Amino acid sequence: MRFSKRLYLFLIPGALLYFTFFILPTLGAFFYSITDWDGANQNFNFVGLANYIDLITNDIVFMKSLGNNLKFLLAVVIFQTIFSLIFALILIKNTKTNIFFRALFFFPTILSSVSVAFIWSFIYAPSIGILNPFLETVGLGGITQSWLGNPDIAIFSLAFVQIWFHTGQVMIIFIAGLQNVPKELYEAATVDGAGKWQRFSKITWPLIAPSTTMVVGYTIIQSFKAFDLVYAMTGGGPAFSTEILVTFIYNSAFSHYQFGYASAASVILMIIVAGITMIQFRLINRNKVEH
Amino acid sequence: MLKRFSFSVLFILMLGAVLAACSDDSEEASSETGGGEEGETTISFIHWRGEDTDSFNKIIENFEAEYPDINVNMSAFPSDQYESTLQTKLKNGASGDVFAMFPGVQFETITGAGLAADISGEEFVSRFIDQYISVGEADGAQYGLPLQLVFNIPVYNKTMFDEYGLEPPKDWEGFLEVNKTLKENGVEYPIVFPAADNGQGQFMNPMMMNNELDEEIWVKVQEGERKVTEDWWVKTLEQIKELNDNGYFGQDALGITQDASGTIFAQEKAGMLAMGSYMMAQVHDQNPDMEMGLLAPITTSEEDMVFEGIHTTTFMLSVNEESDKKEEAKKFIEFLTRPESASIYANDTGQMLTLEDVNYESEVLKAQEPWTQKNTRFQPRYTITNGQVQDAVLGSIDSVLTGVEPAEAAEQAQQIIDQSL
Repeated sequence: MRFSKRLYLFLIPGALLYFTFFILPTLGAFFYSITDWDGANQNFNFVGLANYIDLITNDIVFMKSLGNNLKFLLAVVIFQTIFSLIFALILIKNTKTNIFFRALFFFPTILSSVSVAFIWSFIYAPSIGILNPFLETVGLGGITQSWLGNPDIAIFSLAFVQIWFHTGQVMIIFIAGLQNVPKELYEAATVDGAGKWQRFSKITWPLIAPSTTMVVGYTIIQSFKAFDLVYAMTGGGPAFSTEILVTFIYNSAFSHYQFGYASAASVILMIIVAGITMIQFRLINRNKVEH
Repeated sequence: MLKRFSFSVLFILMLGAVLAACSDDSEEASSETGGGEEGETTISFIHWRGEDTDSFNKIIENFEAEYPDINVNMSAFPSDQYESTLQTKLKNGASGDVFAMFPGVQFETITGAGLAADISGEEFVSRFIDQYISVGEADGAQYGLPLQLVFNIPVYNKTMFDEYGLEPPKDWEGFLEVNKTLKENGVEYPIVFPAADNGQGQFMNPMMMNNELDEEIWVKVQEGERKVTEDWWVKTLEQIKELNDNGYFGQDALGITQDASGTIFAQEKAGMLAMGSYMMAQVHDQNPDMEMGLLAPITTSEEDMVFEGIHTTTFMLSVNEESDKKEEAKKFIEFLTRPESASIYANDTGQMLTLEDVNYESEVLKAQEPWTQKNTRFQPRYTITNGQVQDAVLGSIDSVLTGVEPAEAAEQAQQIIDQSL
């Protein structure tokens, strides 16, 4: 079939939507990040790079948010990846039981994050919740505590919910990756006398490396953007111990009415996420295994 | 091929034209008639009091009967969402011809952006009690009329207090004694304090009112003239810590939300509820047999006490400056503030109002009425107009509840305040 340049016209609607809803707001964020706009007033001043300098050198809460985000991210990336891989390895065969359990593990993903936040806030609640009484019943009364009220562990309590929420989703990516590993390789390795661990470490792990890279990259980005869960469960408290970058941006813009400042923070967040995405793509390309 | 391509382009263009035409029509409809019948105008009334919608609906029904050519489209949003999105809703007059505002940061921002109309000269302004509406003034003009009068001091279970022979305390020692007696009698929460969301912002007010008598204190803190590391705030934090360390807040204040605290109090697991009078109607619905009253923690000796409690005038009614239906919006406010409408609203919702001639009939309101005669101070938190300062101050209470020493918590808060100045 002959390719006609006029077919490019069909790209226009999509390009227009992309330009309107992605490019323009992004440019807008860059523009407002060098102003002191409060989000309501029509007048504002240009402040150059002052917002960026303030954020990086002077803002205790911003730096704390960044630190909290890293704790949250590490907990989620490590445990979500491990759990989802284990579940994927257990449930890889397409039996009826496995399909049922896959659906069961995937189920939290289809819930709205606000519902998840509501359910888990109730579970964690110290007086009317169910986690502490459950722990006491099974003889673990010594570890009961204020799961969202203790600033040392609140961020990890949130990370646990995030893991519960998304492990099933990530598991599906691993199952797809595992099902693409040729069976002949396992058969040949078994004939050669390889054990379960050797088959996993020498065949499975290298061949699912692109899936792992994608899962890790996706989880990192998801952890940076975990706004709804954090906002609905703790609002960033107590004492900023669960404030992460996105809640910081939201509070700056909509509670403190500092849209310019919040735009600068969101540009920094965009740069971080873009950097991670670039590293992720490079790793995917490097980890591609021909078979 | 070319023919098919031309048809496709033509089809897309026609579809676009049809959609554009529909869009124009609907926009016109909503701006001129608000979707109602020809000649009718629909005004938008937005606020955050979802629990009051039934009562407002009664008043709106009466209003529409008197003004058949004006419809009122009311929307209530969750308070945090409302706080964050109000200015967006008001822009271009798209919604909120009549809207409610919080005093403090929101009032400053909305009036600063020119989104609230000056209603100084309106006849209905004179229906309000003078001392309560100054919070809606800026630069000599009236931009908002606070409708609700709230007492931001703990609610107590009068039935339980009578049972243990307790009276509302008159000094700090007395307050500690009341808590101790409740605890010794097995009350799980002598004072339930919902610090998971709104508790700090409420309880800080009566806790500081007599520790620092200067009503301009937060203005001075925001201007860098005074600091939260001074005695008055450190003492306030120390007293909150004392209550927490003695277990008077129960097991875990930081894990309790406002809703949960209301339920705990209604279930009579708590002697006091560290919120305000606005919780009384909800608690009364859940436990109509429980008699309630209001009390304030006096953090000084009886002789040094100046203020007996805290009041807030809030739910500031205003007209959107960008609206092209200002006259209809004012008619609605005029109707809403008539004594008969106000009485319906007050008795249905258990809210004291800032208006004259309201007929308070409900038990909950009768319990609050004596407080209108007491020497109460306007809620200090609402005099904080910088959101970062407010977060820092509330964060220092969080810190104390998690075990940080009061002086250190105050120091951390001051660092954030210094940075925001």
